[in-house]
Amino acid sequence: MAVLAQLRAEHYGYALRKALVDRGMDIDENTLYPLLRRLESQGLLVSQWREEEKRNKRFYRLSGDGHRILNQLLEEWQSIDASLTRIVEGAAVV
Amino acid sequence: MELLNRYLHAVRFWLPKAQQEDIIAELGEDLRSQIEDREAELGRPLDEDGLAAILKQRGNPMLVAARYLPQRSLIGPALFPIYQFILKLVILWILPPIFILVVGPATVLSGRDPALALGETVWTLLMAAVFAFGVITLIFAVIERYPHESTLRWDPRRLPRVPPAKAATRPQPVPGFTAIVEMLAGIGASLVWIEVMRLRTSFNFGDVTIALAPVWRGFFWPILLVTLSGVPIGLMGWLRPWWMRARSSARLAVDAISMILTGALVNMGPWVRVVAPSQPASGVADANHWTNVGMSIGLGAAGIIFLVDAVQEARRLVRQRPDGSPAAVAVRR
Repeated sequence: MAVLAQLRAEHYGYALRKALVDRGMDIDENTLYPLLRRLESQGLLVSQWREEEKRNKRFYRLSGDGHRILNQLLEEWQSIDASLTRIVEGAAVV
Repeated sequence: MELLNRYLHAVRFWLPKAQQEDIIAELGEDLRSQIEDREAELGRPLDEDGLAAILKQRGNPMLVAARYLPQRSLIGPALFPIYQFILKLVILWILPPIFILVVGPATVLSGRDPALALGETVWTLLMAAVFAFGVITLIFAVIERYPHESTLRWDPRRLPRVPPAKAATRPQPVPGFTAIVEMLAGIGASLVWIEVMRLRTSFNFGDVTIALAPVWRGFFWPILLVTLSGVPIGLMGWLRPWWMRARSSARLAVDAISMILTGALVNMGPWVRVVAPSQPASGVADANHWTNVGMSIGLGAAGIIFLVDAVQEARRLVRQRPDGSPAAVAVRR
C-alpha cells in the first residue's frame, strides 16, 4: 500500500526507495523491485524506460486500476484502524 | 566497475531468459545510483572494498534472482500435512511390520546365513523406504500441480462421523469374551508347558534334534504358575467384570514376575542344544549358536512385551484411583 501510495507521483526505483525510507518505510531493494514487477503485471502500475541524467531509468506510476485498488485498500485500512483503536481503547478502560 | 558487471552477470544466470535484460538493466541502474550516492558521501570514487560491501549488502546473486521468480514449492502448504501423514504411515507403520513379520522371516528361513539374511532384509527395507518416499512425493507433486476438482467441491455432509468419545472417565468392565479367552489361553499355555517340560524335552526334525537345556528345569514351577495365573484372572473378569483395579493389580504382579523370570533366564543361556550326529561338527556348532541367538532375541522380545503390558496396567490403575478420579467424582455428585 505504501508503494502504491507513493507512486501516485512518478518515481524510478532508486528514488522511490529513498522516498519511502525518508518517510520511515525502510523497504529492502530485493523486496521492492520484484514487488514493482508483480504490481505492474497485475496492472496496478505502468512503467516506462526513459533517459534522465544521461542514464536509462525505469519510471513507475499508478495506473487507473492502481488508483481504484489503492482507494479500496485505504478504506479497508482506515476501517481496520478504527476497529483496532476501539478494541485497544476498550481493553484499556477494562 | 568490473566487480559490478561480474555481479550482474551472476544474477542474470539465475533469471528467466525473457526477463533477463529488463531486470539486469534495472538492477544495474539501481546499483549505479547507490554507488554514486556513496561516492558523493565519501567525496571520492569507491574502491573495490567499498563496491564489494555494497554488492554484499545487496545479497547472494542466486537469492537476489530468486526474489524475481514466482514462489515455487514441490508440495505446497495445503497438501503438506496429508503428504506428511501418508509418508509417516507408509514408512513407519506399514513397511517395518511387513519386513519384520513377513520379509525378514522369509529371508532367514530361505536357508541363507542368518547374519547375511538380516543385513539383506534391513537393506531391502531401506531401499523400499526410499522408493516409497520417492513415489509418494511424486504423486503429491503431481496433485499439487494439477489439483483435482474434488479438493474444491467438497461437501460438509460427506465428512466422516465423529467416533464415539473414549470412555476415559469411566473404566469399562472386562468383556466376557476377553475373560473366557484369557482363561482358555492360561489353560492352553499351561498344558503346552507341562507337555514340553515333563513329557518331551526334545524335538526331532529328521536327523536333527533340538533339546531344551537343563536350565529350564529350575523354571518349571514359576513359569507354570505364571501361565496358570491367566485362569483365575480370566475367571475374575468373567464373574466380576467391574473389579478393574483388582484385575489390573493382578496383571501388574504377573507382568512383574514374568519380567523377573525373563531377566533371570536371559542370563542363563544356552537354552537349547542342537544335536545332529550326521552333520559336520562346524555346521552343528553354527546351528547351536544361531538357535540360541534366536532364543535370546525371543526372550528379549518377551521381556519388552511384559514391560509394555505392565506400563499399560499401571496406567489403568492410576486412572482408576477410587478417590478423585473423574468417575468417582461424578458418582459422588
